[in-house]
Amino acid sequence: MTALLVVLALVSPGQAAPSLGDAERAELERARAEVADQIQLSAYDLVDELVAGWLRAPLFGQPTPVVLGGVTVPVGLGTGFAALVENHLSQVLIQNPSTNLELVYCPACSAVVVHSGPEATVIARGIDQPSVLDQLGADAGRHALFVDIEAEGAWLVLRARLTRLTPDLPVVWSYTLASSASSPALLRQPQMLKSAEDAHHEYEQTLRARGPVYIPARFGIRSYAEPSGNGTNPPPFLWLQTGLELGTTEARAWTSSVLLGYSIVPQAYQGLMLQARLHRLLTGRARSLTRPNLYGFIGGAVFTVWGAATAPFNDDNALNADALIAALEGETPRSRFGGLHLGLDLRVGERMGYSVFLETMPALRNNNNFGAYAQFGLPFQCLGIEVGFWF
Amino acid sequence: MIGLYSLLFLFRDDPAPGLRHSKAESRRLDCTWLDDHAASARRPGQVTTAPPSGDSVERSVMLCAERLLAPGVRSEGDEAVLRELQALTNGIAASASSRFPDLANSTWLVEAFHPSALVSAKLIFAAKNALSAWGMAVSDRLPTLAVGDAGVLTSLAPLSAYPAACARFAASGSLRPTDALLTLVHLDSRETILHAGICVNGAWSWLQ
Repeated sequence: MTALLVVLALVSPGQAAPSLGDAERAELERARAEVADQIQLSAYDLVDELVAGWLRAPLFGQPTPVVLGGVTVPVGLGTGFAALVENHLSQVLIQNPSTNLELVYCPACSAVVVHSGPEATVIARGIDQPSVLDQLGADAGRHALFVDIEAEGAWLVLRARLTRLTPDLPVVWSYTLASSASSPALLRQPQMLKSAEDAHHEYEQTLRARGPVYIPARFGIRSYAEPSGNGTNPPPFLWLQTGLELGTTEARAWTSSVLLGYSIVPQAYQGLMLQARLHRLLTGRARSLTRPNLYGFIGGAVFTVWGAATAPFNDDNALNADALIAALEGETPRSRFGGLHLGLDLRVGERMGYSVFLETMPALRNNNNFGAYAQFGLPFQCLGIEVGFWF
Repeated sequence: MIGLYSLLFLFRDDPAPGLRHSKAESRRLDCTWLDDHAASARRPGQVTTAPPSGDSVERSVMLCAERLLAPGVRSEGDEAVLRELQALTNGIAASASSRFPDLANSTWLVEAFHPSALVSAKLIFAAKNALSAWGMAVSDRLPTLAVGDAGVLTSLAPLSAYPAACARFAASGSLRPTDALLTLVHLDSRETILHAGICVNGAWSWLQ
């Protein structure tokens, strides 16, 4: 049989596509470029996952030359995108030599080769004619890697196969991996490639390694409502607090905290406080590692404050001239009282929190130096805001 | 009360065309029904699952995602095949495996005939991976025919041409006795399904 061999083509050619105007063509190109931008990171992610798989389970026991047989990308996105994916694959393979895949350059493999022998004349790529490659001396790679990426609905699917370049061209390994369009790209570093599963596990371990005990540090301001009569309300108190916070479970749906606080404004006041709180997560049954968590809390605190500006806590009547004179004569006012509070705590990134609360001081409910921000059976004389950090 | 009930339907996140989504927007979505645990695994933190102790609420979740390629970026015919590429090729591989168990030790060759050469290449790649996943030995070899054979075969109707080509593959030795050739065929440009046939020892049989 000396005839020229050709691959059979049994279907009639498709209908010619309707001609597009310049404006339509430009719009189509714009849409294609936009899609390529959007899925580029997802395609890189799939390639990273492919190479991470080879890191975990290398295909070869020792470094083996492999020809990159071809990288194809979603139909409609053009060859520029294919070049990007090919470059990324090469970069990741070069930076991870323990995959044991060594990309080699084989120009005869990708070139179209015409081979005329006693049986036939064959026109095909070198990679499809291993016997011709042998004759050309192009024995640099004994395996060829093919990678295909395709957009299938909302999924980006990567397929890869490795073919041994012997006359039988057996496929020795194949792999299919899909990524949803709604999954964010992991943006992995090529030098320390990890699988998506390993990266997620490491992320969780890092968070959990902090243990059930947190050490919060808070800066807060307590502001006291102006009285409706002749009284003089105390100035806002600035508090620095720290202590311990414990969660009942990893979910941290319930947490409790005990904090010690100190407040000072020279020449005006100083104070100490001991505060206990119980927090309940309001946004779900378990804290989110990725989104803000909102807690509601109730708590109690005992305060001792002293200094000239703390006189309003001491006097259950309106501040008068006698009290001021006593203070000037060196009798530093000092007061101890308790408070109950309730509020909301918004925690962001498991590191920062912002809270607002109302506090009632039952012992001072008849003190004319205080008004009320709200009345729930008891007057809530104090409004507090806090910024917290967790370590 | 009726107004409140209407508001419930107006503001729920329903992917169907309506007041919140146009038909074009809805057509761009790819939606799947899942149970709550599968949906929670797919979208952690976004789907509330039933508590371990159970409750009286029956949950099912429809997850939707926008298709990667907007309508018009590629032809409707290509899109119909490529959108379901994994399911199509996996179904064909499963069917071949179950209907021809005696070919489990054969070497499978794959070819595809689609009006678009790019789509044909995608079909071949996906089918080879699907066959490999079913544990079959696959090769990148392709059977070839002489020019004279090709000239005769292209003049035949497709339904006759494929069995005839199969016989010529075997007769010419291009397809060995230990080979099984899976051919994916798009017979009519109006179709959105694929046909598949298997050629073994010169005998052709349609798989679907």
